[in-house]
Amino acid sequence: MDKKLKETILNPILKGNPITVLILGICSSLAVTVQLKGALVMAISVTLVTGLSSLVCSLLRNSIPMRVRIIVQLVVVALMVILVDQVLKAGEGTYAIDKQLSVYIGLIITNCIVMGRIEAFALGNKPIPSLLDGLANGVGYGLILIIVAFFRELLGSGTLFGLRVLPAAYVPNNLVILPPFALILLGCIIWAHRAWDKDLQEK
Amino acid sequence: MNTNSNAYTVIYTTLVVVVVAAVLAFAAMQLKPAQSANAKAETLRQMMSAAGIKSTDELYATKNADILQLYADNIDQAYTIGLDGEQNGTLSTDKANIELVDNLKPQNKGIKESTEVTLPVYIFKSGIAVMPIYGAGLWGPVWGYVAFQPDHYTIAGAYFDHESETPGLGAKIKDEAWFREKFIGKKVEWGNEPAFRLEKNAEATGAENTVDAITGATMTSKGLNEALNVWFKAYEKHFGLGAFFGMLEDHAINNEEEE
Repeated sequence: MDKKLKETILNPILKGNPITVLILGICSSLAVTVQLKGALVMAISVTLVTGLSSLVCSLLRNSIPMRVRIIVQLVVVALMVILVDQVLKAGEGTYAIDKQLSVYIGLIITNCIVMGRIEAFALGNKPIPSLLDGLANGVGYGLILIIVAFFRELLGSGTLFGLRVLPAAYVPNNLVILPPFALILLGCIIWAHRAWDKDLQEK
Repeated sequence: MNTNSNAYTVIYTTLVVVVVAAVLAFAAMQLKPAQSANAKAETLRQMMSAAGIKSTDELYATKNADILQLYADNIDQAYTIGLDGEQNGTLSTDKANIELVDNLKPQNKGIKESTEVTLPVYIFKSGIAVMPIYGAGLWGPVWGYVAFQPDHYTIAGAYFDHESETPGLGAKIKDEAWFREKFIGKKVEWGNEPAFRLEKNAEATGAENTVDAITGATMTSKGLNEALNVWFKAYEKHFGLGAFFGMLEDHAINNEEEE
């Protein structure tokens, strides 16, 4: 059991990473990775939403009528997303970041990772493993988000977390700020991931 | 129990929705005061940045409570005007009673349809007057605050914000300090059509009511230009008359000097 639990936590972060292996959640990873701060808040938000939604859906798994299960899951996910959005708006420090992320926090509901984990894992497992699976998938997603944002903020604005690190003489690369560059960067990360983990390579 | 019967399904889904609605309503009620305080402080920061009370970076590093205090210390009077330029209401200054961005949208509609509006004017103790602007950018609304010197036609400062303009392009109206600094010292020509020009190569004409549009952000610049001119037109009767006599005096002085 202990080994299985460890597998549940580590698999989504490495071998079964939702972005680089399952290619889920690409949309938001292109949109919110211009700055590290926004990417970090997005990563935490998605982690909370996937974790809590999986937990609640796992608790309900034996009572949900099968014919309407997707709708019930959607309601649960929507609840979590709205709660996260409201809390971000209320925090003095997070208000500005929430404004910057604007619709993308609300769009977490359409993130395939959330519904995917509920369908694939939470409906067939006990609450605690489901919570961990949700959180781990959120972390796996967030990790890639932060890596992408690190390069985009560094090369696109010459800053990290809003603090200038490259000399003022550095001319920011405008291509890096635009979403297509995030796609190029994601491709490179997937490449590196597959080169490092030979099991992922298709024969 | 049969979890697939119709009755069970209907009761179950109803129950889930009711519980979720109750949780959300409770959360919204609990968080509302904190959210409103954030929105208000944000608007105050932008207004005071335009008015030059403190630098934008300093204002954004200041806590909400101190922002309210700073506003109370610096504001002289605040009131609302109609399209005829006459005052039609007052805004309490000690409670920092201000028009939030959400209220600018219906006002913008009111200006365009010439219906009843209550356009806010904020006069700071330094004599600087601040007015808001609001319009449509490329992806969503753009808005901002323009501050005038006591002569009511020289721009003392400006601050612009947007909901979802492209980062690195349209978002420059907010992110780049050099853009808002360009407005300082420019003059609005009340009564002229247009009163202000934010256009490509406009500065090359040498006119004092021009700022160059941002390269790569044509649509955002156009939207901001329209927002500026629509709102300047709405405030024309209020600011324009005093500014007109001011301009006459300036010209008179210039003429004397020439003789």
